[in-house]
Amino acid sequence: MTTETTSAPPAAGSRTPARRRSEGSYTAHVGRPGFAWAVPATLFFLIFAIAPLVMVAVLSFMSWNGLGSPRFVGMDNWSRVLDDPVMIKSIWLTLLVTVLGVAIQTPLSILLGVWAAGQQRNRAVLSVIYFIPLLLSSTAVSVLWRALLDPNFGIPAQATWLFGDGNLFGKQASAIGVLAFVSTWQFTPFHTLIYQGAARAIPQVLYQAAEIDGAGRYRQFFHITLPQLRNSVVTSMILMIVGGLTTFETVLILTQGGPGTDTTISAYYMYQKAFKSFDFGAGAAIALVLVVAATIISLIVVRVSGYDKMRSSMEGL
Amino acid sequence: MKIRARLPRLVAGGATLALALSLSACGSGTGGGSSDDGKIHVLVYGDASNKVEKQIVATFNKTSDVKAVLDTIPGADYQQKLQTIINTPQAPDVFFNWGGGSIQPFVKADLLMPLDDFIKDDPALKSNFLPSVFNSAVVDGKAYGIPMRGTQPVLLFNNGKVLDDAGVQPPKTWDELLSTVKTLKGKGVTPIALGGGDQWPTLMWFEYVYDRVAGPELFEKALGGDKSAWESPESKKALSMLKELVDAGAFGTNFDSVKYTNGASPALVAKGKAAFELMGSWYYAQQQQDAKDFAAKGLGYTTFPAVSGGKGDQADVVGNTNNFYSVLKKTKHPEAVEKFLKLMYSDEFVKAQMAIGNLPTTTNTEKFLDTSASPAYSHFQYDLVKKAPSFQLSWDQAYPPSAITPIHQAVQQFFNGQIDADGFIKAMQALPTE
Repeated sequence: MTTETTSAPPAAGSRTPARRRSEGSYTAHVGRPGFAWAVPATLFFLIFAIAPLVMVAVLSFMSWNGLGSPRFVGMDNWSRVLDDPVMIKSIWLTLLVTVLGVAIQTPLSILLGVWAAGQQRNRAVLSVIYFIPLLLSSTAVSVLWRALLDPNFGIPAQATWLFGDGNLFGKQASAIGVLAFVSTWQFTPFHTLIYQGAARAIPQVLYQAAEIDGAGRYRQFFHITLPQLRNSVVTSMILMIVGGLTTFETVLILTQGGPGTDTTISAYYMYQKAFKSFDFGAGAAIALVLVVAATIISLIVVRVSGYDKMRSSMEGL
Repeated sequence: MKIRARLPRLVAGGATLALALSLSACGSGTGGGSSDDGKIHVLVYGDASNKVEKQIVATFNKTSDVKAVLDTIPGADYQQKLQTIINTPQAPDVFFNWGGGSIQPFVKADLLMPLDDFIKDDPALKSNFLPSVFNSAVVDGKAYGIPMRGTQPVLLFNNGKVLDDAGVQPPKTWDELLSTVKTLKGKGVTPIALGGGDQWPTLMWFEYVYDRVAGPELFEKALGGDKSAWESPESKKALSMLKELVDAGAFGTNFDSVKYTNGASPALVAKGKAAFELMGSWYYAQQQQDAKDFAAKGLGYTTFPAVSGGKGDQADVVGNTNNFYSVLKKTKHPEAVEKFLKLMYSDEFVKAQMAIGNLPTTTNTEKFLDTSASPAYSHFQYDLVKKAPSFQLSWDQAYPPSAITPIHQAVQQFFNGQIDADGFIKAMQALPTE
């Protein structure tokens, strides 16, 4: 990059020879800007992602309770963690919570998003109300629902025909149900927003053409709206999966991993090991398992969805 | 292409650097010493009781050349934060703790100063405190803590009006408790409120029943590493009694969805939906805050029922004996620290603690019991603790911190039927004892 190029005004149509020459040298390494451009991001990534990851990897081979010097113990933490039935269970629970999140939130937020993209009466007001849960912190949301779902003073006490004795947090199925419900309540608005934007971007001509061809609302939705939202579905699903795998506060406040270990998902189990039992080695091993699992899952999603070669959905328009 | 070739090398370099950093960071922890700014730093759990700690520090600073500074860590993360700083140059000289297992890792890591020399200088540092309380900060025969707040025995609280309506009295024996449960159930109230969602309230039932059936020795044995204690006939008897109580519907069916910490289980008692709740002595202050009328008129309290044929004395109590100040070995001003600790049995300290509703465990506390906000309650508690042959520290604080989660999970699973007696025994035998 010479000063010539940066200082030359981009006057189209009156290119000077100097400008042309520098343009020539630019095309010599097109698509590969100077390495210096990558330094800030690389450094940031090194310090905040790679370095901690490496430290965690090293720590997973050590025994450390936060006091004194860590001691190398070889594979001890790993054999303990991989043999631990609670760990295996926590991985399945994490996957279950993630799958439930995606399965419930995706259809809901697509419908809400497409609806919110329209021009109906009161739409703007209602959209704002739907959006409110997203503005609250996860902690506040969890505390709120814990109180609302109290079996003696909350909603279950008023609707015993539905909730029975209201022991929602005392059984595995209902405790997981509550976790899925609360994250749905909190995060659906965000994904609704993604779909609202995407639905607004669908060209009206498609619907007009479909109408002329005699397609009803349902056919329009399934044959125009949904295919046009494909890329947004992939984006939103990846965000949901990442969110699901790292679910923590809701578990911490709503169930504390209980009853017993029935909702102890991996991220919470890691916290328990490292920061409640001060077994940082085992905590680090669990963290690495989580990193590896999340990497594999995101690779699969990227492969299957074709996210890496995402094409415009507007070809031919 | 050049950049591609360079990148792995860069990553490798960065990784090595990070590794080196982490290793050196770990290494520096061991050599650290208290930064000496000519003061002693006193670290306490940040809450409403800090008022007294501030006052005592101010009193100390009036006469001492070496000044004391009070540092507080607010909220529930105290133990986590303490453990991360205690071996660094930011470590305090004196710090708040719960005695027992909460300081055991520090003793093992050789960070704490045994207080035996201080006690030799001034025997009052031991003799002016109730022995059952003082002893819960003794590790391996050496004293490591001086009591510095109020005692919190666990009591059986009740709603007097609910008991009257059902025509029953607070139970004095286990059999009475079982029949009371039956009567109350027939009247449509939950006999006993239990915040099972928090897990530790469930644990209190185990602590008392084990004590009444087997005496304090069983738990002491188990804590000392003799895991066979858990499969003894007494242990099995205690478990079958607890099971009988749960199966009798004493706690209702949804106790795992109820929490103490969000005010739900105390509200059950205050509103007359439940008759009893087993809880630490702070329950009284909690009800005064949440349900003032009920605390003044309807709230009753008794000791835990006796078990006929059990080995435990019915005067035994369990709970949090007190909080303690422990001293770091590397403090630069042991004389000043000793002087500071002596204030913990002063009249000023006792009066200030009583004024905010804490019940100190010094021998001179008795003189001031009538000055407390609720003298009857203070007398009851003080006599109870003073006469108790044994004051068992809560299991989750007697064991080292790594055992807390497994203990909480086991008691919850036993109460909700996920594990049976054998499962519970196995879980307790798997606990780390050091």
